[in-house]
Amino acid sequence: MNSFLTPAIAGLAAGGTYALLGVCAVFTYRLVAVVNFTGAAIGSAGTFALIALTESGYPTFPSVIAGILVGAAVGVLIGFIMTRWFAEANSSTKAAVTAALLVGLIAIGLRLTGGQHPRVMPDLFPGSAFRMAGVEVTIASVLTIGLAVLFTVLSDLFLNRTRIGLHLRALSDRPLAAELIGVKVRLLSLLVWGATGAFTTFALMIIAPQRSPNFMTLSLLVVPALAAALVGLFRSFWLTLAGGILLGVVEGLASSVDSISQYRSAIPFLVILAVLLWSQREARWDEAR
Amino acid sequence: MSELVISSLSISRSELPVVSEINARVESGSISVVLGANGAGKTTLLEGLSGIIPVASGTIAIDGHEIQKARPGQRSREGLAHVEQGRTIFGQLTTEENMKVALRDGSDLSEAYGLFPELLQRRTVRAGLLSGGEQQMLVIARALLTRPKVLMIDEMSAGLAPVIVSRLMAAVRKLADAGLAVLLVEQFAALALGIGNRAYVLRRGRVVYDGDCKTLLRSPDELHKLYLGG
Repeated sequence: MNSFLTPAIAGLAAGGTYALLGVCAVFTYRLVAVVNFTGAAIGSAGTFALIALTESGYPTFPSVIAGILVGAAVGVLIGFIMTRWFAEANSSTKAAVTAALLVGLIAIGLRLTGGQHPRVMPDLFPGSAFRMAGVEVTIASVLTIGLAVLFTVLSDLFLNRTRIGLHLRALSDRPLAAELIGVKVRLLSLLVWGATGAFTTFALMIIAPQRSPNFMTLSLLVVPALAAALVGLFRSFWLTLAGGILLGVVEGLASSVDSISQYRSAIPFLVILAVLLWSQREARWDEAR
Repeated sequence: MSELVISSLSISRSELPVVSEINARVESGSISVVLGANGAGKTTLLEGLSGIIPVASGTIAIDGHEIQKARPGQRSREGLAHVEQGRTIFGQLTTEENMKVALRDGSDLSEAYGLFPELLQRRTVRAGLLSGGEQQMLVIARALLTRPKVLMIDEMSAGLAPVIVSRLMAAVRKLADAGLAVLLVEQFAALALGIGNRAYVLRRGRVVYDGDCKTLLRSPDELHKLYLGG
């Protein structure tokens, strides 16, 4: 039993991060209509700001805050590019632009952070939170899942119970109509980019010590994040949350099976393929008829 | 007394001039009607006025304050409301949420429900499920809640039953009588001229008639000539 439970629980930390990154992707898509490929790269920028500061001898806590602010600022910068020059573009063009920006961010990030050599990332939350069925559950796992659930709940409450949330829902529905009745479209869009940048950064700071923390590895976490978002069909925060956690658990399980452990990073691609094929089933059925 | 003054306004799309040298005035308490055949530049004129597309030259002023360089949101806050054609409701939001998005300091949902009591019964219904007439009422009500000085409405009657169009026309007249300046773009000339005060007829982006609505209403042949030229 433990031979499966241990790797499954080990996958929870990654699952929590995928879930949070996925929920941020859904949040960005629902509110500013962009399939954002730069999400994890924005978080990586903030995470590497933390690494640079701690390596320079700055204390950890202020460095975490500074890193989160850097992540938010890079998010706002990407948001500025998207709202300033691509606000009227269709969703395919916007997605292509963020894919191009991802390549640019990775190139700059690798150049500034010393290439693909892993850096020493301070473990912000070391140790075990509790034992479950004889298996240690790390604080990082609990935190990433907790953060993902918190972001999901806050997103729901924020969008449905606040005036700014109402404006954001209107903005996501018809940006031009919202602007014509005086909604501050650009400001709200930048707020969305900044908030998701901050949350993404914090999630990556938690998980980075368990990964090989180089800029590219962290930036490519966008793949499982988008797989999780696809499980939620880019609409449901809760399905995305579940999809992200499940993806982490499946990855963990795969790592315990020798014959497939080397291919576990392909699992998000399989999920993406499966969801896309499933979502096309009605069109294919109609075509067949 | 609020007024919108348009001076020597030219608007281009993809660098091709669509509207040229327009001069017009929309005064508080009156309805100015913009008529013209398809492609005459009516919608382009409204989109230039509200900032959806940039103006090439000329000025737009509300109460003497020029707004031609402002973004659409800023123009809205200056008092210019634009009801686009195609009933641009927020389909995922309820009727009441649609209106709450537009609420400003000093505006109240009761004003909107007073003008269109039909919306009160439908306040919790998702706006995408409303009938065409209800959706048109909703977008007008939503524009009113921004406390505009000038209300511009594009093709209000498109695709609606005559009884609904009459209801909407009466509501617009009521708004003008209460002191609002209204600029109405319409395909159905007779209906619009019936409630309007001043008419502008556009042909190929230029004003070919600027005068009294009633005069034009009494001369259908003249209107026909203005539409088609010659």
